Amino acid sequence: MNQERLLQVILAPVVSEKSTLVSEKNQQVVFRVASDATKPEIKAAVEMLFNVKVDGVSTVNVKGKVKRFGRTFGRRKDWKKAYVSLVAGQEIDLTATAAE
Amino acid sequence: MQAQLETLSNLERRMNIALPMAAIDAQVTERLKNMARKAKIQGFRPGKAPLKIVEMNYGAQVREEVLGEQVQQGFYKAVSEQKLRVAGYPRFEPVANEGDKDSFKFAASFEVYPEVKVGELVGKEVEKPVVVVTEAEIDKTIDILRKQRTRYERVEREAATGDRVIIDFKGSIDGVLFDGGSAENFPFVLGQGQMLADFEAGVTGMKEDEVKNITVVFPEDYHGKDVAGKTAVFEITVKNVAAATLPEVNEEFAKLLGIADGDIEKMRAEIKKNVEREVKRRLQASIKENVMQALLDVTEIELPKALVQLEVGRLIEQARRDMESRGLKVKEMPFPPELFQQQAERRVALGLILAEVVAENKLEAKPEQIKAMIEEFAESYEHPEEVVQWYYASPERIEGPTSMVLEDNVVEFVLGKANVVEKEMSFDALMGNNA
Repeated sequence: MNQERLLQVILAPVVSEKSTLVSEKNQQVVFRVASDATKPEIKAAVEMLFNVKVDGVSTVNVKGKVKRFGRTFGRRKDWKKAYVSLVAGQEIDLTATAAE
Repeated sequence: MQAQLETLSNLERRMNIALPMAAIDAQVTERLKNMARKAKIQGFRPGKAPLKIVEMNYGAQVREEVLGEQVQQGFYKAVSEQKLRVAGYPRFEPVANEGDKDSFKFAASFEVYPEVKVGELVGKEVEKPVVVVTEAEIDKTIDILRKQRTRYERVEREAATGDRVIIDFKGSIDGVLFDGGSAENFPFVLGQGQMLADFEAGVTGMKEDEVKNITVVFPEDYHGKDVAGKTAVFEITVKNVAAATLPEVNEEFAKLLGIADGDIEKMRAEIKKNVEREVKRRLQASIKENVMQALLDVTEIELPKALVQLEVGRLIEQARRDMESRGLKVKEMPFPPELFQQQAERRVALGLILAEVVAENKLEAKPEQIKAMIEEFAESYEHPEEVVQWYYASPERIEGPTSMVLEDNVVEFVLGKANVVEKEMSFDALMGNNA
């Protein structure tokens, strides 16, 4: 897998109640990733960017909401969310990386 | 908390204060916790965001707030511990902290009130003007009153000095009408220099309904730039000539002045009372001025710059409002602070000296003095009781008379000590008029 591709895979961390919950409970970190990213790609990308060992990756395709403006219907983009489980003892400090 | 005081100059001080970092941190956390209970952050229901996220969002801001407060508090605590009297506002600046992680250091520069040593007043000469109100002065005042009530009656004779004329005029230069050179039904009184001398001379001697052309040469320094130095021809139509009559000093005149039964003696007495009150007021003002000057002369004092600065600001503000109320455009007007510097310095110095004199000699204003002062004010109004009540209605209104009583007390005190030189002064000089 070439490095250029890996840099494009991870878009942003997901900061929400659920993401903080799973990070405390299962050592998982949640990212928004490119829609066409595969699990092996995500694993490689996280390992490279954050210098951690990844145990496994689960992904979910989030359907964009259907929004209405007057009579016209619009659709938000679908996006892919990845739950990345870290090997026990590994950690990503998102507050620090977010500030970078 | 540790505080060190440095003396920079006579009045300037610098305080180095170190605050324990732990206390600051504790307070920051405390505040964040409070905040977290209500904080609304994207991705979380209100109040459900973990402390870490809240800190990420608001940490810096809260820290700044806490620091600001702690610095203020620390400073004032140190000041009260060391019994300093701070003049004006302090200036805070952080101090670079070498290796010491447990405390936050800052320096506060400020000025203290100077020690006021009021100099020796005994032997100091203070001029005290004396003015006697005589019958002549009252006559003069009555004359002025009469002039104010001059009546004009239409006459069919040639206009003479002192008459009021109503005219139409058209002015032209080289046969062309010029701006501002024409008017209709324009009234003016001859012989008072209201118009150019040539113009007045031309009108003098004209009768009602007469038409005449006169030539007027505008002086070189005439305020209208366009016409200055030029020769203009005015076509003048006299509409009305009225002779002035001064009211006789009689019952009617007295009634005009508000003496109900028209008693002339009473009127004179009333006028005398008014004149005397005015004279007294002005005398007092001038004595006060002299006394203040004497106090300034004998006292050496170094003024805190901060206070002078504040006073300058206040004076500028006052001047600005003053001009605004006179309908001037203030916004474009510059107010150079240097203009007010001297006045401000004087006022600050006097304020400090007065406070010192009052405190040292126990010259506080007593309630009965204030009452007397207000009653004196009220005397010149139509309904004195109402005025008195108005003053007592709110504490701010009493402040004016109170400070005046204070000043009077100081004046009296100084006069008691100093070498008072009485000086005769003419009535006119005191009133500042030449009428």
